[in-house]
Amino acid sequence: MNSTHYPIIMMLLFLIVGVSNPVIKKKFDNIEKTIIMSTFFIAISLAFYTFIFIKIEGPFFYNFGGWGRKFGIEFAIDGFSSLMSLLIVLLSAVIVWYSFRDIGHEMDDENFISYYTIVFLLIFSMLGITFSNDLFNIYVFMEILSLTSCGIISIKHKKVNFLASFRYLILNTLGSLSFFFGIALLYMVTGHLNIIEMNLAIQQVWQVTPTNILLATGFIFIGLAIKSALFPMHIWLPDAHSSAPSPSSALLSGLVVKVYIFTMAKVIFNVLGKEISQALDIDLFLSIFAAISMVMGSIFAIAQKDIKRMLAYSSVAQIGYMFLGIGIATELGLAAGFFHIFSHALMKSALFLSAGAIIYKKDLRDISKFDGLGYELPISMSVFTIAALGMIGIPGIVGFMSKFYLAEAVILAGKPYFIVVILLSSFLNAIYYLPIIISAFIKKDPDREKLLEFDDIPRSMYTSLIILGFCMVLFGMFPNLLMNTITAVVPTFIN
Amino acid sequence: MDLIKSLLDHINYVGSVTLFVIGLYTVLTHSNLLKKVIGINIMETSIFLFFVSIGYISGGKTPIIYPGTEDVYYVNPLPSTLILTGIVVALSITVYSLSLIMRLYKEYGTLDMDKIMEIRSETQDE
Repeated sequence: MNSTHYPIIMMLLFLIVGVSNPVIKKKFDNIEKTIIMSTFFIAISLAFYTFIFIKIEGPFFYNFGGWGRKFGIEFAIDGFSSLMSLLIVLLSAVIVWYSFRDIGHEMDDENFISYYTIVFLLIFSMLGITFSNDLFNIYVFMEILSLTSCGIISIKHKKVNFLASFRYLILNTLGSLSFFFGIALLYMVTGHLNIIEMNLAIQQVWQVTPTNILLATGFIFIGLAIKSALFPMHIWLPDAHSSAPSPSSALLSGLVVKVYIFTMAKVIFNVLGKEISQALDIDLFLSIFAAISMVMGSIFAIAQKDIKRMLAYSSVAQIGYMFLGIGIATELGLAAGFFHIFSHALMKSALFLSAGAIIYKKDLRDISKFDGLGYELPISMSVFTIAALGMIGIPGIVGFMSKFYLAEAVILAGKPYFIVVILLSSFLNAIYYLPIIISAFIKKDPDREKLLEFDDIPRSMYTSLIILGFCMVLFGMFPNLLMNTITAVVPTFIN
Repeated sequence: MDLIKSLLDHINYVGSVTLFVIGLYTVLTHSNLLKKVIGINIMETSIFLFFVSIGYISGGKTPIIYPGTEDVYYVNPLPSTLILTGIVVALSITVYSLSLIMRLYKEYGTLDMDKIMEIRSETQDE
């Protein structure tokens, strides 16, 4: 078979298995787990093959039904989308492997299979947004993504979840509609929905109708900022990410908000082009909002008592780093932003999953009760510590390298004042992460009898935690493994 | 006078933007959950109207090509087909949000967002 079809087969695999699973299976047993994990295995091999294929043969465009660029739907299978699809399937495979035991603690038995259906549709739509080269198509995938991401919150049948899910749905829909209105305004000027054709048309007309394009970009920016929780529009995120089951929080925080950042990069660099977006001062607005987000997210996180709420506010701050990378709009800045997408995906899913392990074993969410927890759950707390130190920016862990690259990019772009924001944000990170580590490993729990216990959590939970911890240290020690690949894909956006 | 004329010429754009703002106002100010959903629906409809009216050319014909007729303007059919997809998306969002409202009513016994927040903060204080 022609190997250009592999990315589409990968997406269809998730769609078909996800939809047919609840029809053919009634009980959640080992066969069901095997089906899910083998789907992931095939998807990972297809994604990896596509990644290698792009490296050798170069990028290509996939036209559905042979309709051509002007009428049909087109997928851009390039270095960027193949790399990010690999990240999406690999990380979601780790999270799903973790979730097999954890969901028993979080939701009713009859919802297990439907949970994986929603997760598969979620991955399907994330892959669709990453590959798609057509703005209307991106909008449709975005709506599937917002419905499914509300679904994996409300599947835990509790009062808080329904409320969080409803608020998330309303704000998400406002975001989608704002994005849709922006597309309509761009379509009015250009007459195309394909990103490449739009870019060609905008280059010709942007001086004739700058107001229209500025308005359209404003709507698109607001829509994507609501969905990716940039600071003033973040109000849905803490409720949604903290009340969701732990694997869902890891998926939402580690992957879902990133997909909107890919869309933002596509709109700014591929639809408008770097020159036009700089002439309209879009990069300036982005970096200002990013800087506010980096500081305010951390300040809110300090005040939190619930561990998952704290991690959710920390996500708001980290989203700022990625937007800052895009806002700097140099090659190194964009590479640093994408590197942070990887490092934050690893660190935040490790943090949420280890918090999930603590909740699973001890049913403990209050940070002030973490005394001596490091001796009861050594593996979970060690992974938590590695990821938290990475968030603060201790050398040797992947988070340090992304801050380092970002600082370098900021200096080379001639905007050294952002260094102050990066340092302030790291300092604030230290204020809320270090007390947890200190109380877990240094303070003594008066009720504890044994000196050191081994984690009494299921095997699938600690293996996935160990994988994430290992990856964080590996990419922290040898960042070039990742950075070389990312630098190679940046020309997708900036030539 | 020119302003009024240009407003009348683009009455469909003006109408759709007005509907968008009305919908947004409804979503943001009303505390009733059902009214929020209605507001979302108004916003969706306004964008559908906007999108379809972009494709309209005054004096344009239905885009069906008959042999022998040349030099005829056709209305752009692409926006209308896109809006069909948009309507399906809007429907699924409405259905999901209504089912969530049912659950919320069962749990809290009210449809008012402010009252729900009050009940929630009371239970958190305990």
